Amino acid sequence: MAVPLGAFIAVSAVLFFIGTAGVLVRRNAVVILMSVELMLNATNLALVAFSRRFASIDERGSVFVVFIFVVAAAEVAVGLAIILSAYRNRPTVDVDEIRQMKG
Amino acid sequence: MDIFGAAFFALLTIGTIGAGVGVVLANRITTSALLMAFTFLNVAGMFVLLGAETVAMFQVLIYVGAITVLILYGVMFTPQSPRPYGLFFQTQKYWAALFVVPIAIFVAVVAFEFRDSAAAGGSGGDLVPLATSIFGDFAFPFEVASVLLLAAMVGAIVLVKRDEE
Repeated sequence: MAVPLGAFIAVSAVLFFIGTAGVLVRRNAVVILMSVELMLNATNLALVAFSRRFASIDERGSVFVVFIFVVAAAEVAVGLAIILSAYRNRPTVDVDEIRQMKG
Repeated sequence: MDIFGAAFFALLTIGTIGAGVGVVLANRITTSALLMAFTFLNVAGMFVLLGAETVAMFQVLIYVGAITVLILYGVMFTPQSPRPYGLFFQTQKYWAALFVVPIAIFVAVVAFEFRDSAAAGGSGGDLVPLATSIFGDFAFPFEVASVLLLAAMVGAIVLVKRDEE
């Protein structure tokens, strides 16, 4: 394949910064969670790219990607639970209006 | 094969970046969620292009399947009245741009260092090396990860459970 490693790293970096911008700029807590998922996915892309580039040494990058899958699933489950319980106290998912986490 | 791979990569790049920007900029939150699933599918295609078919399969199963459905449930349980578009952005967007742009330039420079690196993509699939690593050297972290998933599941249930009394 003719696609160089730097192209994948560049796409990964752009996707990561799209996610960063989403976390910083959006107000809706669910969209912030989605942006965090985009950042995790960009990290996965970089890890797999480097792992395949140096595949003659080892395949460790893909192992880390599997662990990132696990952590992302746990993060989404707990994050959505926190958003839902905050929504139950005050019916909003606007992070500017949620000023306390006290139940 | 070279032309095919490059064209496939260009298509996937356009899909990934375009849908990613759509996630951040879309007005309706359901559109954001579905565009996020599309971004995940494109990244799975990039994994295939890199020769990591097993990771691509996990990506489709976990991200496109599970996490997107979970987030769509979150969207469903938190109904919002539609608001004008400008209100969806926080007030510190210029500060955000001030911090993001220099770091983005730095990372672009770092990525440019790899421009004439050898072509990506090893030989053979990645299932056997992945499995031997996970169930060999990484067996203990694998078990710890399962405990983490169990703890997250219990925590999510406790957080969402309504008080009975």
